[in-house]
Amino acid sequence: MKAPFFAFGIIGTVGLAAASLFVWTQVKSAQQRLEHPPTKDNSQVAAVADHAEAPYCTPQFKTVLQRVLNACGLVGQETRRGCQPADVKTIASINDEDFNALFTPLSERGAILLFDDASDKLDDEAKKLLQDRWEDRRGARYFFIVSRASKTGSTDGNRSLSHKRANSVMFFLQETTKEPNLEKMVGMLWLGSEYAQLGKDYCSGWSNSRGTGKPCTTDAINRSAFTSWVDCRL
Amino acid sequence: MTNLTLRRWLGPLGVMASLLGLFFSAYSTYDYTEHLDRQLHGTHCSFLPGLVDASAGANACTAAMYSPYSAVFRTTFWGGIPISLFALGSYLFFLSFSVYVWIAGAGASRRTLQAFGATAILPVGVSVVMFFVSILRLGGICKLCAGLYVASVMLAAAGFLAFQRSQAPRQSASDTVPNAVYHADSRPTDAFLAAAARLSPPRPGHIIVIPIFLMLLGMFTLVPAAVYAASLPSYTSYLRSCGKLIEKNETHHALVKIATKSPKQPALLVVDPLCPTCKAFHERLVDEGIFENLDVEVAIFPLDNECNWMLDRAMHPGACVVAKAFLCGEKSGKSRNVLEWSYDHQDELLDLAKGGKELLRAKVRNAFPELDRCIDEKDTQKRLEHVLHYAIANKLPVSTPQFFMGETKVCDEDTDLGLRYTLGQIAPGALP
Repeated sequence: MKAPFFAFGIIGTVGLAAASLFVWTQVKSAQQRLEHPPTKDNSQVAAVADHAEAPYCTPQFKTVLQRVLNACGLVGQETRRGCQPADVKTIASINDEDFNALFTPLSERGAILLFDDASDKLDDEAKKLLQDRWEDRRGARYFFIVSRASKTGSTDGNRSLSHKRANSVMFFLQETTKEPNLEKMVGMLWLGSEYAQLGKDYCSGWSNSRGTGKPCTTDAINRSAFTSWVDCRL
Repeated sequence: MTNLTLRRWLGPLGVMASLLGLFFSAYSTYDYTEHLDRQLHGTHCSFLPGLVDASAGANACTAAMYSPYSAVFRTTFWGGIPISLFALGSYLFFLSFSVYVWIAGAGASRRTLQAFGATAILPVGVSVVMFFVSILRLGGICKLCAGLYVASVMLAAAGFLAFQRSQAPRQSASDTVPNAVYHADSRPTDAFLAAAARLSPPRPGHIIVIPIFLMLLGMFTLVPAAVYAASLPSYTSYLRSCGKLIEKNETHHALVKIATKSPKQPALLVVDPLCPTCKAFHERLVDEGIFENLDVEVAIFPLDNECNWMLDRAMHPGACVVAKAFLCGEKSGKSRNVLEWSYDHQDELLDLAKGGKELLRAKVRNAFPELDRCIDEKDTQKRLEHVLHYAIANKLPVSTPQFFMGETKVCDEDTDLGLRYTLGQIAPGALP
């Protein structure tokens, strides 16, 4: 009766040794792959969540936007809030018409808030339109306020007035949205009456707070603050 | 077929069953150990695993492997110790034992045969349990597992034959062997002697034989598992290597808190209600008893370009509508219901969305009529956008699911086999 015992012993021992070797080899092979993983194919790596990038974000548009953001305190050191006419003219490095043309694709997204002559007070219609536009953020990163003044009055007075108009919009947003990161989201430019005045053609084709049916002059359209979310990654 | 003929099959049947068991348990072990590198691999889900390549994606074998029932000691070792290793060891034992019984033939003692019978029915007991687990909990049977079930049934049959042989009553050879086998001088022929030996009851043997073989079975079963455990690499350095939340708090209250039974461990889940992986992960958390221990917030992240600007096409069409229903459900405490309903009906919802979002919308409306109005509200859209902006603020990948324990991201590689081990290391409070 020795043969069965021998068979049991030999098969058992060899089998266990082989199974152990198989297991050990498998685990060590996995360890090797764990410690030296294959290089990931970039096409397989998921993109990182980011803001929207609309077709109007042309390189030129983004260049100007980036300059404005850098110089007007939205990016980097936040020691300043907003840019005034002289700054914008220098920073943008483009002429008035080209500057305005950059914003043309925003005609659907943006709105022009109109003010009374010499006033920086937002009326109810302007507040409502502003709120509507603010709430329609979607994937945008920045909200722009570009305020102006008509050519009526002195240059300094108009600078000051357009600054106040930009601030009125900003203050309203601060009060109503309670957005903790508002300062990092809103870019302000006040252009006075020296730079990038709007033509009468902006009376139509753009949403303005007093409706398209009402009389609109070049002066009226420049007593305004243009507001819009900008769907560009910068 | 007579009992005698059947009993002759004892050894060969045991050997065949053991080889079959070894074959399938080795393939199952192979598939499991491949995953120890924390990368994605296919599984050999076939009755002929050697002839068919491992298949990637969802199949019953992958589902079984990722289930809590495929391994033990999952909190102690990354991935745990796969139960296929115990099968591997035990079938080695049965191979050796079957050869023993085969060679010993009529010489095998009654106790030895009883030991064989007693041990050989153990695998079928395990198979019955695993079969019902597969059917009732996993919703399908993996082919490798089925191979093991067949092997265990064959082995049990061999065990039954051994047991029957051990119970053979004492009887005279001349009672059953025809006279022709006698020589004229009444001396028995060799054939008679052989037949008499086969028919004679086995010698009793010592009672100690049974515990010895049981002990050997235990040893064989444990050795491969011990080798496996001893050779596993250390995973601790990988567990916290996938980053942290940059901005933990969402200031607009856009995340949804889900009520659980024992919310101990703060956690954040980034999920898409129509994402199959999210569904599988949710079910894993629930099955493992982890979900109820989480103080969980959900960042709903639909991979549908209708509301998510980060995609240029919808990966899961219709996910925006369901995501909004989920957000709307918070007020009435139904968010979890919406999420689990969407997981339960995921295939149907995805099919409906292919035929037009209105069909999917009608399905949602039918299930949760009270949320219908809210889905279209501006505030809901805004809230969803806040969730998406929260993902941007945290530089999250555009993928789901993502799982954070506190601020620490649980690596995707640790959300299946290594889940319990990982949680045991970084958030023990989450484990039941």
